[in-house]
Amino acid sequence: MENVETMMGRGRDAIDMIVDTDSFQEGTVGAKTFDDPEFGPGAVVGTAKLDGQDVTLIVSDAMGFNEKFPVVYAGIIGMEEGYKMAQAVYASLAADADKPKEEKRPLVLIVDTPGNGPGKVEEIFGMNKATGAYQLALAEARLAGHPIVAMVIGRAISGAFLCHGLQASNILSLDSSFGTMIHVMPLTSISRIIKKDLETLEELSKGNPVFAAGPQFFYALGGVEEQIGKVEGMRPAIIEHIKQIRAAVAAGEDAKLGPWGRGALGAERNGRVVRPKVIDLMNQEFAAVAEKYAPSR
Amino acid sequence: MPKWNDIQGQSFLESDARARAVGLVDEGTFTELAGPFDRFYSPHLETLGEAVEFDDGIVTGVGKIGKTPVFVISQEGRFIGGSVGEVGGAKMVNTIRLATEFHDKLVAEHADLSDEEKPVVVISFETGGVRLHESNAGLLAHAEVMDQLQKARHKVPVITLIGSKVGCFGGMGFVAAATDAIVMSEYGRLGLTGPEVIEQEMGKEEFDSSDRALVFRTTGGRHKYIMGDCNVLVRGKVSDFREALSKLVVLPVSEFEKMRRIGSPELVEKQLKLVALAAEMQPKDARDVWAKAGNADAATLDSKPFDEFVATVKRLEV
Repeated sequence: MENVETMMGRGRDAIDMIVDTDSFQEGTVGAKTFDDPEFGPGAVVGTAKLDGQDVTLIVSDAMGFNEKFPVVYAGIIGMEEGYKMAQAVYASLAADADKPKEEKRPLVLIVDTPGNGPGKVEEIFGMNKATGAYQLALAEARLAGHPIVAMVIGRAISGAFLCHGLQASNILSLDSSFGTMIHVMPLTSISRIIKKDLETLEELSKGNPVFAAGPQFFYALGGVEEQIGKVEGMRPAIIEHIKQIRAAVAAGEDAKLGPWGRGALGAERNGRVVRPKVIDLMNQEFAAVAEKYAPSR
Repeated sequence: MPKWNDIQGQSFLESDARARAVGLVDEGTFTELAGPFDRFYSPHLETLGEAVEFDDGIVTGVGKIGKTPVFVISQEGRFIGGSVGEVGGAKMVNTIRLATEFHDKLVAEHADLSDEEKPVVVISFETGGVRLHESNAGLLAHAEVMDQLQKARHKVPVITLIGSKVGCFGGMGFVAAATDAIVMSEYGRLGLTGPEVIEQEMGKEEFDSSDRALVFRTTGGRHKYIMGDCNVLVRGKVSDFREALSKLVVLPVSEFEKMRRIGSPELVEKQLKLVALAAEMQPKDARDVWAKAGNADAATLDSKPFDEFVATVKRLEV
């Protein structure tokens, strides 16, 4: 395989590196077809074989430009893109509606996106709904048993990562040697907005992963399950994670998957240690008063 | 802390998070969970040498409206813009989770449980989203909230209230959109990208973030009501929000599905018709869309008296 320095901007190439050779059928998910090439060009959706089984692919395409909504370029998720991605998820749910929970088709999300569409038309019509719609669809599919693996290959920035990635069962990321970017904002911008000098923030971020930018810090917080050090490592890692997710679903251990599972991982890795304490105390406090809020019979 | 009766007459816009939480439910029924006496504050703010609050800028708890257990989440805009970090995020996430668990327990224990005895969640938003001082933890908390919203679906209605100064933006803008019902006052604002960022992206000629009327036309309660993104538009007192809430909490959860804007394949198709309209119209101003909705008086719609607006406005249908 070629010597790859970065995968940024190469969502379509990543498809070929991951799925079975020549198996990707763009624009078809179950009974649903996406026939209009001008519809949501920033998102590529389709079906491929991975290790012989059908998977749905939802991929950021940094080369796509949406003529109708000019804020959508370089992998930005606009309104059409968000709903198109949601349609691909719902089509996967519909295609496997009759299958048992353990046999639902996996979804692979290839993530390289710098943001949600930030325009005036987007606010007038409600960009928040498009990104929210896709997240709810992913959460529904995950809870129905579909293994969802997000593979971060380039940029996974803030709200766009929430939209396309953070609802997955498991999240993988190429490591920082590929220039992979996972953050809300670069430290330089955070420094300006919260009025703390950059040197202080850089020093603090060595020991505290909550404001630093990069996949290694999300790993420490439990926001990324595994970092991948080679591009040829993506395919076997995704296959392995799908297996593990299927095993968890079959064992009724859904709570280990998705954002809630990653919360526990964050504590295990010493990245988010206060979160579980807050949750435990609230549970105790509510248990002590719950009777008061139950119907009197 | 003002008396419950006094809170009712207060402006929702001016009320702090705790007054809203206490005032929205019946008098004397509110129990705060992970409240200030538990002293859970952000360790990350402390590391940065910033001031902390012992509730981390969010009030969570449970109260009752009539027979309905109401799980309350109320954000405080006066503390770092109502931003969400590790602690505040965990409080929000776990409040929704507790409501769903309580629902399941009550349903299992009481075969005759009525709709109004089933729990609901109410979120009084006042936030710009992720807290930048602990941005990564804040981001991950948003994902957890979205997961809990889907887990609550078809069980526990989640009701959004927006009428506080900061509005509801950033990641919390899509959290609100993903809830079942949205109640706003005309002073409330809902969106994803804040006005300053749009100006930065598009230039001041396209979007002047200092133009308050423009900002309200684009994200304010009246506009969101016309677009169908807000289900109920209320006047500005705490009692107005409480009255709207009281009417909602007794409804069966199936009724809430009809109020949703996203969360099913059918709703996505409906939204795509709106997106097609956006592409066709390329509106320069929200007023273009108000006119398209059939409002001949679009130019003056935002300055009409409240009652007249609600009685006469035409909402967008596609």
